[in-house]
Parts: sequence; C-alpha cells; structure tokens
Amino acid sequence: MSASGEHAAALAALPGAGAARLGRLLAADDAGAAWDRVRAGRVGAEVAPASVRTEWRAAAAAVDLGAIGEVLRRAGVVATTWHDPAHPPRFVHDIDPAPIAFRCGRMPEASMPHVAVVGTRRASAIGKEIARDLGAGLADAGVVVVSGLALGIDAAAHHGALLAAATPPIAVVGSGCDVPYPKANASLWSQVAAAGAVLSEAPMGARPEAWRFPARNRLLVALADLVVVVESRATGGSLLTVDEAVRRGIDVMAVPGSLRNGAAAGANRLLADGCAPVLEAGDILAALGLDRCGAAARREVAVPRSAPGETAGRILEAIDDGPTSVDELVARAEVDAATVFAALTELELAGLITHDGARVRRC
Amino acid sequence: MLATIRSSTLEGLDGARVAVEVHVTNGLPAFTIVGLPDASCREARDRVRAAIESSGLTWPMQRVTVNLAPGGVRKVGAGLDLAIALGILGATGQIPPEQLRDIAAVGELGLDGTVRPVRGILPLVDVFDEGRVLVGVADARVAVLGVGDRARPIRSLGDAVGALAKGLPWPDIDVSLDPAPPPSLEPDMADVRGQEGARRALTVAAAGGHHLLLVGPPGAGKTMLARRLPGLLPDLGPDAARRVTRVHSAAGLPLPATGLVRRPPFRAPHHSASMAALVGGGSGHARPGEVSVASEGVLFLDELGEFAPSVLDALRQPLEEGVVRIARSGGTREHPARVLLIAAMNPCPCGEGGTLNCRCNASSRSRYASRVSGPLLDRLDIMVHVERPSPLALLDREPGRCTAEVAADVAKVRRLAHERGVECNAELGREQLDRFAPLDEAAAGVLHAAISAGALSARGAMRARSVARTIADLDGGGAEIRACDIAGAIGMRARPPMGGDVVRIG
Repeated sequence: MSASGEHAAALAALPGAGAARLGRLLAADDAGAAWDRVRAGRVGAEVAPASVRTEWRAAAAAVDLGAIGEVLRRAGVVATTWHDPAHPPRFVHDIDPAPIAFRCGRMPEASMPHVAVVGTRRASAIGKEIARDLGAGLADAGVVVVSGLALGIDAAAHHGALLAAATPPIAVVGSGCDVPYPKANASLWSQVAAAGAVLSEAPMGARPEAWRFPARNRLLVALADLVVVVESRATGGSLLTVDEAVRRGIDVMAVPGSLRNGAAAGANRLLADGCAPVLEAGDILAALGLDRCGAAARREVAVPRSAPGETAGRILEAIDDGPTSVDELVARAEVDAATVFAALTELELAGLITHDGARVRRC
Repeated sequence: MLATIRSSTLEGLDGARVAVEVHVTNGLPAFTIVGLPDASCREARDRVRAAIESSGLTWPMQRVTVNLAPGGVRKVGAGLDLAIALGILGATGQIPPEQLRDIAAVGELGLDGTVRPVRGILPLVDVFDEGRVLVGVADARVAVLGVGDRARPIRSLGDAVGALAKGLPWPDIDVSLDPAPPPSLEPDMADVRGQEGARRALTVAAAGGHHLLLVGPPGAGKTMLARRLPGLLPDLGPDAARRVTRVHSAAGLPLPATGLVRRPPFRAPHHSASMAALVGGGSGHARPGEVSVASEGVLFLDELGEFAPSVLDALRQPLEEGVVRIARSGGTREHPARVLLIAAMNPCPCGEGGTLNCRCNASSRSRYASRVSGPLLDRLDIMVHVERPSPLALLDREPGRCTAEVAADVAKVRRLAHERGVECNAELGREQLDRFAPLDEAAAGVLHAAISAGALSARGAMRARSVARTIADLDGGGAEIRACDIAGAIGMRARPPMGGDVVRIG
C-alpha cells in the first residue's frame, strides 16, 4: 500500500495527466504496474497522444520515488488509486471518476449521509452564521458535512461541523494536500484534517490554480447525497457546483436570502427555479429521510440555560431575530442604557445571547 | 567693554537660563554669536543690527562678540534678540551696563525695533526668580502669570532704552487678565438625540477617566459625540491649569484671554499624524506632541483604523504612565501625557460592517481590525457601538440631558475619586481597588462567571472593576460594588471590533 502510494503520487504529478488519461492508464493496471509502463515507454496509444507519452517517459526518468514517499509521509498524506480499498468509493462510481486521490486524515464511513454545503466566498455575516448553524446542526444529526474550505460559506460550514464535534467533516480542496489555501484558513484546514479528512485530486505541492476548482467542485458533489447552497451570487462558482449536482441527479436545496442581499441572489434564483428551501437544518434532515427529533433533544441538553431575571427577560424579548443594537433595546424595552448594559452581561453569561461588542443576537 | 544680561531658551517644555555676554572691542567691524545658536538664533545678527539702527541708536563700528552661556545648551528661536540688543547697547555705553545686571529680557525684535511675542513665554520667564523681566506687549499677560508684577512689558527697544538709560517711566500697559471666563463654546449633550448607549458610555468615561472607543458606520455621529466629551469634564484645578498653560505656551498655541487655560484641552489630530506629531519629539529640540498638548484633557483619535499602527502603539506607554519619555542624544525629557483617550472607528473599511450592505471581504476586514493592536485595545476600558439614527427618530425624540446636568454627575464622581486619593477612578491600582471597590457576593459571582466563560482576562477584570466603581458612584451605589455595576462594566468593555472571520465560536 505504501509503495503504491508513492506510485500514485508520481503518476498524478506527470505533466498533462488529467483524470481521463489517468483513468485509461489505470484501467487494468495498478499504480506500480502503470508506473513501470510509463518509465519503460510502454503506454498504449489509447491512453494519450504520442507527444504526451514521450513527455511522460522523460519526466518519469527524473522522478525519485523515495523523495515522493518522504513528502507524503512528512505531510501525513496518503495517495490512493481506485484499485485500493481505501480509495473513496464515491470517487470510483462517479460519472467523472477520480482515479487517483490524496487524503489527509481519515474518511468517515461511506455509508453515512453526506451533505455538501457550498456558497460564496464573499458572504455576509448573517450568511456565514447560517452556514455555521447548518454545519453544526447536520454534524449533530450524524451527517458528514462536505465543503471546499474556501473563505466565507465553506469555512463557516466547516466551523459549525467542528463545533458540533459529532461527525467528522470532509473538505475537498483544489490545491495539493500540503498547500493550505487560502492561508487565512490554514488552521481550520488542519482542524478538519484532524477531525475528518481533507481530500484532493491535485498532486502534492500543486498551486491553487483556477482550473483546478471546477474539477474540485465535481468531486465535492460526487461525495454528496444532497447539495445545500447557503449564499451564492448571481454568477457565483457555487452555481457551477449546482450544475454538477444536476448532471448527477443529486438534489439541490437553497437557503433563501433578502432580495436586497447581492450575496444571496444566486440562491434565491435557485429557489425560484424550484429548488427546495432550507429554513433550518431539520429541513435538510427531512430531505435525507432522517429522524430529526434525536438531534434536537441532544442540542437541548448541550446548552444549559438559566432563567433570566425580570428586567433581563424583558430585554431578551426585545431582541428580535436579527442583530439588535443597544439603542434599539433602550427604545423597545423602555429602560435606560445602564440597565441594558448590565442585562446584556447577565443574558450573555446565561448563554441566551451573543454580544460582539456591536450588536447582540439570540443564541 | 563687556556687558551681561539674562535671558532664557526652551528645552522641551521647560525654560533654561542663558547668560548673554557681549564684548565690544577695537578691530575690524564684525559681529559673531557663539554658544550653540540654532539657525533662527544666528539670524539675530541681522535683526538686532537693523532694530538698533532704526531705533535711533548707534551700531558700533567695532568687533562685537556675543557669547550665549552655558555653551553646552542648544539655543533655539528668536527669543534672545532683545537680550542681545540690550547687551550690545550696554557694552557700547548707550545703556549703563550696571542697569542690565538685575534684569532679564525675552523677546524677538522686528527690523523697526518692535518687540514681538515668542513661543513658550510662560516656561521662558518662569526661570527668573528675581529681578525685572522685559517682555513684548503681546506676551505680557502670560508673563504676568509667571513672574507677576516683575514683568515689564515694552512695545519696542526704544521703550527699554528710555527707561534704562534716560530714567523715563516704564510704559504703562494694562496687563490685567480678563476675570470672567468667556461663555463656553463647547457643544452641548442636549443636541444628541437617541444614542442612549453612547451617551451612557460618554458619561461613564468622563466620570471615571476611562478610555473609550466608539465604533460605528459613517454618519452615526461618532465625531459629534466625541466633541461633547470635554464639556463633561470639570474645570482644571490651579496646578493642572498651570501645567496645561505651560505646555500650550511651549507648543505655541494661542492662550485664552483669562491667561491660564482653565478648561480641559481637546485635541483631534488627523490620522496622518506622525509619531513625532502624536507623542512628541522630532529632530533637534523635542517638541510636545498632541498627547502632551491634550494632557489633562481629551485626545480624540478619529478613524483609529487609519492611523499608522506603529504610531498608535507608541501611545501605549504614555497611556499607562501619564508621561511621555523622549530620549535624545542630549538626554531624556519627560512630557506630561495624562489624557482621556476617545477613539472612533468604522467597523470595517466600507463602514457597514456586519450588515447586509457590507462590501468588505474577510481579509480586508481582518486587515482593518488588526491595525488596532490588542494591547492598545486592552487599554480602552469602554467600547460602544454607535448606530446611524433614523432621521425620523431625530425629529421625534426629546432632547436628552444637557451637558450641565451630566457634568454635575461627573463632578460628583470625581470628588469621590479625590477622596480616594486619585484624580479619577481609572487611576485606581490593584490594592486601591481591593480597598475602595470590594465586590458583594452577587457581583463576585458575575465576575467569576465572566472570567470562567473566557470573556475577561485578568487585566480586563481589573479594568472592569474600576469601571464598575465609576458606575456605582454614578448610580448612587455604596461602598460595595453590586452585581448590576459589574455587569454594566462588563457589558461595555472593549472587544476586538469584527474579527477576521465573522464566524465566532460560542
């Protein structure tokens, strides 16, 4: 297995080796045999044009398998081909299969339900909060959250899944498994790898080039039983992910947003086109045919709440669903600002609200 | 012949005595000034010669040497002009040299012999313990604050020669100070409609001397609120007034007609300010920075996120200790820096942070937030969010309490602080807090809960206690801090405004 890991990694790094060519190359042979054929220049004409095959042979001659093995070991990455039992089965049975995959961490059981949560990188604060809540709710209910570790919605969904700490999440990334991108998510990246798995089709050290992301999106969808779009702009990359889902006949659900919120325009368009709406994590669970009571009951136990005092209770009632400012609370609860500041601390310590210094919202 | 007269030069915020020695002897006509004069001081040669000739006096066609002693102190500015001119007149016998022995002179000369005002007149005359002090008319009122009736205001070089050589009376110039303070021009709190949270924060900040950060979108009224803060502070005491006046005089700021600066200063440097402009220094002689000029008053940093981070971090030590230490090759100077800091910033570069209209991406938001370092944020005890009020609410709401009412509350709290031996509650140290701000049982519970929830650091807990002391004083609490006081303090404490990623754990 460790030997074929090096071979698979070496094959993926060949110039011009896309999923289609590698698929033909590995149709019958395992990684070791295929590598020997590449080095010997005995690759069949049906695999790739002659110029590419010559290039492969030259490139393979310069490869040090030991060094590649060392890179994999040091990064804690395993490379598999579809002949390996450890290869994600959903990558094999896809309409665009991935013959080679790199993995950091451990894959959750393939039999568990998988839901892809995707959305724009330039998300609104509320959008990210929704993505986080959905991620947490899904993981809580035993659903594997699959996302792309991009900024915005992706990161928020992973955050949520990690917070719930109930089900391991999966990230499918566009760069090599040893190239965290974007840098801002580097720590989130390693948290996901520690709790679940980070998957990539790109060879080790591959830069996050733009063309790799559409290919990544197809794998993200391939893993999922359902795709949820939280916020997407009218021409966002998430809509390409939706197209991949439609090609595979995978259900797509979308979170409605304000008509004035440009970040939600794409998601709203999906709803208008007939996607099922997501109002809470339970809607996704229902679509998956899962029981939602168990999850809700567990949540209740997780956050112990003490009853607020009378004034604090009045102020809590004045906090509507959106973020609320101190001035609004003064006006609505008809108390003075001093009382509000004190009550907010009480409510925050009781775990009933969050307060980021600017506005407060209910938990 | 030789003549000596006293004068002074500025060293930072203090005056330094200078003995001006003039020697006139036969030889080729020449005029040299020695004793570390800077450029403006060296130019005295041309001004003094013209002033003497246009006052109808005689310029000696001899070799004139002026020595400014002590030789090791750098002499800055044109304030030595008058003393040099009088010294030359003494050395040439146009004024009896013994007349110069017990007088001092500070003033710049015009080419026509008029005496002009100089920067820093108060510290400059403060160094003369005895004898008459000749100053220009424009400097007379301030000089009187320093040396009382020993000040001799003169309009021109001719006035001095008349009194010293011809026995004429000193010119009679009214130097009495305007006794009645002018009507306050500080804007009133009654103009603030709504903004209850920010009003409360301003009140607590003024009462306890707690540094304050206002965060809000453009147009929310952050600047408007900040400008109302100095009006809430009490008048300066006699010592503080004198300290402030000295700094303002040395910084060359116009002084009020009452002579002493009696109201707390308000300074609002632009965010392009350099480190030297903000904390003082600069090449050569160390000028007071904005933080020193605002000492005993309010320093307002608008658009905090736009200041250079290195400049902001230079404020950390002065905010902590109340003085700025400026080290130069010639020695270290201490400038006062006891300010009440009020800062304002947008939640993110586009200003709409956290709402649907925000156009910033996570990285630019995190870059903006990271410009204000954690240690600086840690020194801001209070942070409130200011919302843009709706125009209709502006029409509807009744005016809030006016500055005079709030200022009375502030003065009450400050009196309580004086009884504890400090200027304001923010200055209470750890032992003093244990003594003057003990927590009752419920309050201790709240504080412990906040600390164990990770909402407060050890330092944050101490700051929260001092803010709680102020809140208790304001709301008529007793010696013990109640739960509502400490909860109110924690509810107003500063937190990082908008982290990089808006996703928060918890």
